[in-house]
Amino acid sequence: MSPDRLNSTFAALADPTRRAILARLTSGEASVTEIAQPFEMSLPAVSKHLKVLERAGLIARGREAQWRPCRLEAGPLKEADEWLERYRRHWEESFDRLDDYLRELREKEKKYGRKTPRKEDKNGRK
Amino acid sequence: MAANNVPTTSEEALVIERVFDAPRELVWRAWTEPEHFMRWWGPKGFTTPFCKIDLRVGGVYLNCMRSPEGQDYWSTGVYREIVAPEKIVCTDSFADEKGNIVPASHYGMSGDWPLEMLVTVTFEEYEGKTKMTLKHVGLPAGENRDMAGAGWNESFDKLADYLAKA
Repeated sequence: MSPDRLNSTFAALADPTRRAILARLTSGEASVTEIAQPFEMSLPAVSKHLKVLERAGLIARGREAQWRPCRLEAGPLKEADEWLERYRRHWEESFDRLDDYLRELREKEKKYGRKTPRKEDKNGRK
Repeated sequence: MAANNVPTTSEEALVIERVFDAPRELVWRAWTEPEHFMRWWGPKGFTTPFCKIDLRVGGVYLNCMRSPEGQDYWSTGVYREIVAPEKIVCTDSFADEKGNIVPASHYGMSGDWPLEMLVTVTFEEYEGKTKMTLKHVGLPAGENRDMAGAGWNESFDKLADYLAKA
């Protein structure tokens, strides 16, 4: 996936109306009129949001019927999710280390009966 | 760090909560003082040979993370909000060693990263321990940046169900 593609996925997801539209489509395809119902918004305004979602590849619109039903496209969301997964791993593993490190600091604190050292860590002895 | 193909839920992916058995003051310092930060930041097997932190709103940080193979990854960002010892909000980007923002492709990664991300960390006192919550979101280019931090993931839960079936 190109950076532009991921950017457009995130940009599309950054709007609460568009998120609500996607959430609505998780329960099946719907027409523009059906999608617009819960929002106090004109059909053209909703159509504009749908265009953004369509351009981001997050939804597809049927050609078959005049009402052109919208449906969710899972691909880009999956890719965005994989991207997030990498970050989750980065942080989880860092926090495991932070956990160990904090324990080490507190043990030192106990041993020397003083507040956590500020300076002696600087030279990174292990 | 290869991503697996199983979709995960937003809670796992974007928001991480941890309880550390340490006073909040200490956890705060572990995040904000380079000599502490360098000791834990980065995945297993990585080291952090360089860390500079200018802890004020508008201040910049620059970190270097070294992989077990010796590859350096620099990252930088700007502090947007600091409430000691409760909250840090900062941007996060890949950088070169001079602190210039670079795309992920600079590090030979498939360029599927937004150029800038937003990290929000909060620290709460919790039964003598510290509950830390981290949020990490991509900042979409050209959108109102403050809004990106508002979290688009609430409807992601429902989507995750859908994705599991897809």
